[in-house]
Amino acid sequence: MAAPFTFTLPPELSAKEPPERRGIRRDQVRLLVIERATGKIEHTRFDKIDNYLRQNDLLVFNSSRTLPASMRGCDCSAAHGPCMEVRLAEHLPDDSWLALLLCEQGDPFGCGLRAGMQIEFAEGLNAAVLARDLNIPRLWRLRFSITGTELVDLIYRLGKPIRYEYVSAPWDLDYYQTVYAKEPGSAEMPSAGRAFTWKLLFDLKRRGIDSAYIVLHTGLSSYMDDELDRAHPASEEEYFVSRITAQKVNSTRENGGRIIAVGTTVVRALESVADLDGCVGEKQGYTRLKINGQHRLKVVNGLLTGLHEPEAGHLDLLSAFLPAEQIHAAYEEAVARRYLWHEFGDLNLIL
Amino acid sequence: MALRFAREGAAGLSLVARHGDQLNAVREELRKLAPKIDSVIIEADVSKPRDIERIVATTLAQFKGHLDVLVNNASTIGPSPMPNLLDYPVEDFRQVLDTNLIGPFLLIKNALPAMTERGGSIINVTSDAGQIGYPGWGAYGISKFGLEGMSQTWASELEESGVRVNWVDPGSMNTAMHRAAEPEEDPSEWANPAGVTDVFVFLASDESKGVTGKRFQAQEDWKATLSK
Repeated sequence: MAAPFTFTLPPELSAKEPPERRGIRRDQVRLLVIERATGKIEHTRFDKIDNYLRQNDLLVFNSSRTLPASMRGCDCSAAHGPCMEVRLAEHLPDDSWLALLLCEQGDPFGCGLRAGMQIEFAEGLNAAVLARDLNIPRLWRLRFSITGTELVDLIYRLGKPIRYEYVSAPWDLDYYQTVYAKEPGSAEMPSAGRAFTWKLLFDLKRRGIDSAYIVLHTGLSSYMDDELDRAHPASEEEYFVSRITAQKVNSTRENGGRIIAVGTTVVRALESVADLDGCVGEKQGYTRLKINGQHRLKVVNGLLTGLHEPEAGHLDLLSAFLPAEQIHAAYEEAVARRYLWHEFGDLNLIL
Repeated sequence: MALRFAREGAAGLSLVARHGDQLNAVREELRKLAPKIDSVIIEADVSKPRDIERIVATTLAQFKGHLDVLVNNASTIGPSPMPNLLDYPVEDFRQVLDTNLIGPFLLIKNALPAMTERGGSIINVTSDAGQIGYPGWGAYGISKFGLEGMSQTWASELEESGVRVNWVDPGSMNTAMHRAAEPEEDPSEWANPAGVTDVFVFLASDESKGVTGKRFQAQEDWKATLSK
């Protein structure tokens, strides 16, 4: 899927550390606001987001908790087999996992990665490499020797957060969690909600702006392969919309409030479960829904999201909210005003 | 306490301790008592932030993001016999605060998201040493003073959230920790832990909805606290 426009992102505009390590609070990142009706752009700070929200609006969050999804293992099916970083991408319904395997030495894909390989981790954990994924060929399907919550326990013992090259230090997992994170399962932080604090959530509630939660465990944002990343193949993702959330969404719409998705994952989950009239029901399932300029939004009115990379498929999703040229103009301003990109960066509210 | 919660019909229990053999023993008893109970055991040390992240993640993975009750009853007495403050090694002092104060803080912080949507109950276990500065009870008493103060702050900050925070002084109990702390005392005069669980059951149940910010003494007329 090609992005609707492109732009140049200077490397210094990647947020290298969490806001709390840049001398500001997590809710003091910058906020670029785009008004959908007029295309008007405003620049403010995230902790003033309530100026743009109204009584009866509903913020919908993705409460998936970030896994320490990067683990170190070595091929034990051959003598002196290579060691590698295993980046967990997705837990599949048959209890196997999709993972990106990156060789520790030399070419990240050049150490003889193959089906049939056995990867040995610490603490007695093993995984059999079953096959390449057909949809995203850089991913492999693995089956661990341990499953269920025992495996979750081991992942938390052995793993660390996935870290990209622009991040300056191996920050603790805590920095990769939203304050409202619940069930573990995301390979990377659903970062659009990272700036929220409990104080802000309680203050908003007091003003009649309620919160609801869906769960959609995020996959990897990069396969460490430029060509594949540019193509951005849409993966199938599991989502869960609870009865409480469905009720809140439907009653908000009935009362004339707006549904504001905190993150593109929320847009995907809600639009996947909405009927033609925008009515939402409790549902757990898998979605391959592609949202782009041709998609007519049925339930979501607004979006809070990070700033996306030039080639990211998320830009395509934004064009369901705004014409591509308006997003492009806003992004040009964001670059000119030195906004920061990525998981620890600034935010964009489209309303 | 776990067995009592099971008897009272808890749907699921997550049991955390440093030693797996003790956890396995409790789980075996639980299975006999309530074969259908959904239980998970987690070997972890609450003085380690990384372990706390693992405790909460594993629990929420087991219970699909649901959590109704958090009991912070892990505690350490510090070196035994207990030195006076003047003689207290700073590393031991820190270790006691990490387990008895920072641990509950981080557990509450991490577990809270699972409670705010449907409401929940946090119960912190304190001691009379958290109200009176007994000589020799140094770091332990100070950690419990801190825990009581922290509980008050949590209770007021969470007043509108549907999550209630209370703290319970179980009184003198016949536990391994207490026996080690006061080896010269006769433990037969102390209560059995199983005998002081009524107040915990009350605070965990819907009967205590709306009760927050209160200190209970398990071996006294704790119901009187409700009218204070």
